[in-house]
Amino acid sequence: MSEDIILPSATSLSKLTIHDTSKTGFGYNPAIGPISNSITSETSSILINKRTITLSSAPSIYERNITNKKPVEINLSSLSFLFCEIVNWTHGQSRGIHDLEMKLNKLGYSIGQRYLELIKLRDGIKLNKRDLKIIDILHFIHGSFWKSIFGKHANELEKSQDVPNEYMIIENMPLLAKFINIPKDYADLNCGAFVAGIIEGALDSAGFYVNVTAHSVPMDGFPLRTVFLMKFDQSCLIRESIH
Amino acid sequence: MLYSILILNKAGGLIYQNEVNPGLNKLSTNDYLVLAGSLHGIHAIGAQLAPNIGDKTVPASVEEFNRNQNSSIMSTFKAQSPNTNRSGLQNIETSLFNLYIFQTVTGLKFMLITAPNPAEHKGELNKQYDMAHELFRQLYMLYSDFVMKDPFYSLDMPIKNPLFDTKVRELVN
Amino acid sequence: MSSYYLAIIGTRDNPIYELEFASFKNTTILSSPSTPNTPPPIPGKARFAPNVKELLPFIANSSLDLIEDAQFTSNQLNLGKIDTFYGISINAFITPGNIKFVLCYDGNVKEENSIRSFFNEINELYVKTLLNPFYAVNDAIISPEFDLKVKQLARKYL
Repeated sequence: MSEDIILPSATSLSKLTIHDTSKTGFGYNPAIGPISNSITSETSSILINKRTITLSSAPSIYERNITNKKPVEINLSSLSFLFCEIVNWTHGQSRGIHDLEMKLNKLGYSIGQRYLELIKLRDGIKLNKRDLKIIDILHFIHGSFWKSIFGKHANELEKSQDVPNEYMIIENMPLLAKFINIPKDYADLNCGAFVAGIIEGALDSAGFYVNVTAHSVPMDGFPLRTVFLMKFDQSCLIRESIH
Repeated sequence: MLYSILILNKAGGLIYQNEVNPGLNKLSTNDYLVLAGSLHGIHAIGAQLAPNIGDKTVPASVEEFNRNQNSSIMSTFKAQSPNTNRSGLQNIETSLFNLYIFQTVTGLKFMLITAPNPAEHKGELNKQYDMAHELFRQLYMLYSDFVMKDPFYSLDMPIKNPLFDTKVRELVN
Repeated sequence: MSSYYLAIIGTRDNPIYELEFASFKNTTILSSPSTPNTPPPIPGKARFAPNVKELLPFIANSSLDLIEDAQFTSNQLNLGKIDTFYGISINAFITPGNIKFVLCYDGNVKEENSIRSFFNEINELYVKTLLNPFYAVNDAIISPEFDLKVKQLARKYL
């Protein structure tokens, strides 16, 4: 399409061209820019008179309260079945263990991006701060972030003795892996790659560029114990040393 | 005294077999498969042998019973009883061994082979039967958790899952 | 009676949402026709001068440098007023996930508090947008409902 104006923001699933105009007078079109949603006499009168208009048939997320602090609990069985299907589906799509872990990581990544914003919002305006240091954000991930996903804090948070940019979050009883039995020919696989992806997504979008991997390190009494190894990008360390 | 646990898929194939206590004559793997297949067949024939006169509240066929079960699960999210084995072979009691069969809504069968009713239970014939059914319930739970929620298990295939094995061993001991 | 330009900037410095509007306050006085020949101004419609209007995206973009300087020195989400440029003031806000809200406006006496509340509510709207599985980070926000809600907030706070 030669008429498409190429804008970096227009590369989404719901791509709009300069020919798309809004029927209701609302809605931003990245191909046109702010003229697309500038205020007209109709939209202005709707806003001034506080008229209610219906833009979609179904009730939308914008009408819902998402800052409810009461923890919402879901059934572990349904979560396990869902995760089982996720792993199963990904397994069918992938070539080999590494590929499978990459795909699980990628699925978790976008959850992490979204969840970080959501949980920070739920913390409320008073506590709502951005974390500037690696150690602060890691405490947040290990603490309240973990708690709101898994209902408990992670077991340990450690810094590598030898490598300055490596940190570890250790979980003795990974919730998602509870019912998963790794077959012998997949010995290295850890489905915690999905959780690693969540951590990576959250840290990346907070500006701490990191690579997270999950490793099984069983201990007596904790056969599923998982270590999430985080390797931060050098740029984060340089930034820490400057500020 | 529990000797052996067998799980059959809905086609009568043996998918799990665990000799929890020694005491039975060793059977070869092939013999176990034959045993499973035969019992599956006897169970199916047993379901057909029910008299068609008398109590009208008893569902006429296995299909009808399953239909009732399913609609009850859909409306109340609870099975009336996990055991749908009402019209087939339920148990065999001999002087050498006892065998109990439990069937789920999907046609999966759990079987237990135990020692015969011990002398001290003579007065209460149902005691071992009740114990077997409690064990079935627990086994069914373990199966639902550790087999059905395992992404690497494909339905109706043999269960080779050390985690499930461990849990079963914990249960029976 | 001032005009505003709001831009939401993604993590790759790409605009994902823009809006030009004016304060809806004092509209009753202005909506009375002053001269019979000119049509009354539409309440809420931005009244930037044409030469300023075309500069607004550039002003917003150039403020990103200042925002990034502040990003790892201040732990606040709302950075307040960070710059002025030829009579245009610029306020900024960074979400925990590194999305920037930039608000450019003419006139300099402003209620910092109302801008802060405005930003906080936009943040909530943005998080709601993120919860949509068909929306990915850095996509343009084309939802009409988002647009409507932002305009309602503009009417409420500014």
